[in-house]
Amino acid sequence: MLPPRLCFGIERLCGFYVNKLFITTTAVKFREVEDRRLMLRSLPAPDEGTAGEKAVDIDSQLAQKADLFPDIDTPTKLFYGIPFKDIPICNIKVSPNNTILCLTDAKGVPKLLRSCGVEGFKHTKKGTNIAAQATAISIGLQALEQGYKTIRVRVRGLGPGRMSSIKGLQMSGLNIASITDNTRVSWDPPRPRKAKKL
Amino acid sequence: MRHVAFIARTVFVQNNDVESACKVLNRILGKEGILEQYRRTRYYEKPFQFRRRINFERCKAIYNEDMERKIKFVLRKNRLDPYPGCL
Repeated sequence: MLPPRLCFGIERLCGFYVNKLFITTTAVKFREVEDRRLMLRSLPAPDEGTAGEKAVDIDSQLAQKADLFPDIDTPTKLFYGIPFKDIPICNIKVSPNNTILCLTDAKGVPKLLRSCGVEGFKHTKKGTNIAAQATAISIGLQALEQGYKTIRVRVRGLGPGRMSSIKGLQMSGLNIASITDNTRVSWDPPRPRKAKKL
Repeated sequence: MRHVAFIARTVFVQNNDVESACKVLNRILGKEGILEQYRRTRYYEKPFQFRRRINFERCKAIYNEDMERKIKFVLRKNRLDPYPGCL
């Protein structure tokens, strides 16, 4: 039968008594939560599975400024027991056709270098995210053997290996202190090459 | 765009959560239009393409501005008289 609140509402609406037998409602009885808004609020937010869908989360995180960005004390801040300025650097150069990883010490002197081509991926296979990840894992293991534990990552360029190489470095067991973007962007560049014909 | 290394465009990784740090970085780069500028300057943009793009952006900005105003108007809730026009 109808909940009493609803009966009262209908009575008030019509201004006279409505016999509840005349109204046939079956849906109300079977619904668990009466208020649709309450039900929707209790449901988890739908995840549509694409990048940028959870952008609201990131924006709120940015608003909190939860210790995410460098400040004036950063060079002396300790990461895994090492001051930030003394952590070795891993430079990653990403291009559409290849990914090159170069591990340097804190001053920038190169120590290890690996690329997808060196790793054994040839031709178009070099420019895949799988190749980048495999390369990153192999350089990471090599670095661990040589005693590097913590690194800061500096990425340059856009390509399929951008995310996966960082992921590979983490999977190899290295601690990543920070991620820096070092892509060269100019607002008044010299004239680039002519556009490709479609 | 030369800045002090490891100060500009840097995000710290917290709790070994690399993915979210990457997301934050990419979000900022995208929002500031840095990625867009990088992609656009890979190949030469002919003057007619430049003109068309600028005109399109102008039209889009005007449309967005007006649409935002309209949405604000339609969604306006706090009126002094909650039922204007009613007796």
